[in-house]
Amino acid sequence: MSHSSKVKRREFLAASAAVASAPLILPQAVLGAQGKAGANDRVQVGFIGFGGRAKSLYSELGGLMQKGEAEVVAVCEVDENRLTAASKAIGPHAAVYRDYRYLLERKDIDAVVISTPDHWHGVQFVHSAQSGKHIYCEKPACCTIEEGKAMIAAAKAAGVATQIGSQGRSQPEAYLAHRYIVNNLGKVSKVHCFHYPSPVDESETPDSAPPPELDWDLWLGPLRWRPYNARYLPGTFRWLLESGGGQIRDRGAHVMSCAMWWLGQDGTGPVTVEATGTPPPKGLWDSAVDMYVTYTFKNPDWTLIWEQNDHCAVPAEERKPEEFKDGVTAISRPGYGATYYGENGTFVHWGGDGGTWAERKARQWVPPAGFQDVYQSPGHMEDWFEGIKTGKKTIMNIEAGVGVSNLCVLGNLSYLLGRKLEWDQARQEIVGDEQAARLMSRPQRYPYHL
Amino acid sequence: MNDPLTVAALLAAIQSDDENVRTQAWLRAGELGPAPLKQLAQVMAGGKLEVSRAAQRAMWRIVHVVGAPGATGRDETCAALRELLHDDQPVAVRREVAWMISELSQGEQDVEPIAALLKQENLREDARMVLERLPSENAVAALKTAFESAPDDFKHALAQSLRRRGVQVAGYPSQKLKPTKATRVKPVVG
Repeated sequence: MSHSSKVKRREFLAASAAVASAPLILPQAVLGAQGKAGANDRVQVGFIGFGGRAKSLYSELGGLMQKGEAEVVAVCEVDENRLTAASKAIGPHAAVYRDYRYLLERKDIDAVVISTPDHWHGVQFVHSAQSGKHIYCEKPACCTIEEGKAMIAAAKAAGVATQIGSQGRSQPEAYLAHRYIVNNLGKVSKVHCFHYPSPVDESETPDSAPPPELDWDLWLGPLRWRPYNARYLPGTFRWLLESGGGQIRDRGAHVMSCAMWWLGQDGTGPVTVEATGTPPPKGLWDSAVDMYVTYTFKNPDWTLIWEQNDHCAVPAEERKPEEFKDGVTAISRPGYGATYYGENGTFVHWGGDGGTWAERKARQWVPPAGFQDVYQSPGHMEDWFEGIKTGKKTIMNIEAGVGVSNLCVLGNLSYLLGRKLEWDQARQEIVGDEQAARLMSRPQRYPYHL
Repeated sequence: MNDPLTVAALLAAIQSDDENVRTQAWLRAGELGPAPLKQLAQVMAGGKLEVSRAAQRAMWRIVHVVGAPGATGRDETCAALRELLHDDQPVAVRREVAWMISELSQGEQDVEPIAALLKQENLREDARMVLERLPSENAVAALKTAFESAPDDFKHALAQSLRRRGVQVAGYPSQKLKPTKATRVKPVVG
């Protein structure tokens, strides 16, 4: 690399962040040998949280690490056993922290992957942006309307590339589905999402002292304090309204994300949201077991339904072995997806997260001359890295992520309050319901605040 | 429970051994307004684990029903909840009740009893957050007063609440980005 053409990594990344909308061409000269990025050009990544999902994300980063474009240099975890396991998985070159703010202090770290329970996403995202890091944050983006606003504002102010982990948009068959819908269905009047129920906590577990390896205070973070209970974690945080929110958030952030993307509705929102549901009859978890939510959109007029129970799923198409190709894998539990109702027909997809299956007719559709093509993601991580390097808008950027997350937030809020809500998309406010409007934000425990 | 609900019937159903009976009971609790709150708090404090949870969910149901647009009983519910903030109640009840008030209160009467909790170390952080949420200007005044006399380790949190409410505070900048918790783990070879 000649001296004159050398672009220092930090300067390059800072420049790309500063001109978020201006394409920045990576000169060949900054590449290392054999097409690999040189050491100075690697994006230095820190992981915030390293539980089950983070392990998958680390794996998904593997291709970029192999090409020398990314290197994981730090990891933090509030559970010391998990932190030890993370260190073993990543290697001794990666620094280990309990408190993510040590990681954010490091000027050599360019980007973070946030894979913590939902109640941490908003705060850690904002802090990361304020520390100048590019951000991949697990879905759903936010737990409250206020968090979403703060996340968008922080990312915009910092000029960082953001990607929310609704990776269904980047799946190979998501492209086929998107292309089929745009070219064949005509005006879509309804999308009906189907999903199996949220689980019931069958374990009658009282509060107790936290295990010694866990920093309970740091796990709770912005949530109001409460005693430790073993049913909050690991992973089960998603069945509590405060820290997760049930299937409508866990998978709604995937299935409804596909709908908003494929229908070109990012940036829009419903005018009304009405939810009904069945609460769990016992246990710590309080998210709805069964649920039915109607979102009404205007201009254009269409309806989005979120239904979760044990009888709403559209049976998945049988697949032949030869149909598993080009990165398409089996769906572990194909009891979720959505049906699209257009003026010229219907379309079904299953999954919507790490596995997305498009109905056969979409996969077999041969585009005619003059068809309308759609964006094909190179992969969710890869798309984020393109955003980091070129400043292009990512497929699930923070504005889109908050839009989808707000659907989940409003659905759960309507369920919790037991009444229909009216939403002003332009002002990002619930209108005509003072109590509901008050719940658009949630006071946060100091110092874990936005 | 298809009959008109009474406080006695609700309390009996909440304490049933049948989880479905308990659930159907707390779902209907809002029909009674604030009347059963005191007894529900007693059940919440003293019941078996799942009974206690059902009682707590019944209290929240009441808060959400009386908080609906056009609903009646909001002020009465706040008044009943205020009675449950006193020292004779367990901390767990007082903490939960403070948050219930945070969703409902519109008047000034709730500020003083919540502000009193700022002096109790195990409740002060909840009280601070609740005051931050209450729309009343008296809540801001209460935070200001508390800030003047608060111990130093609590002033930062109060300053944060005041800033959230649009008050300029000299000093005590937020420590939100300052790391404080070191790990004992060392990097390991896999």
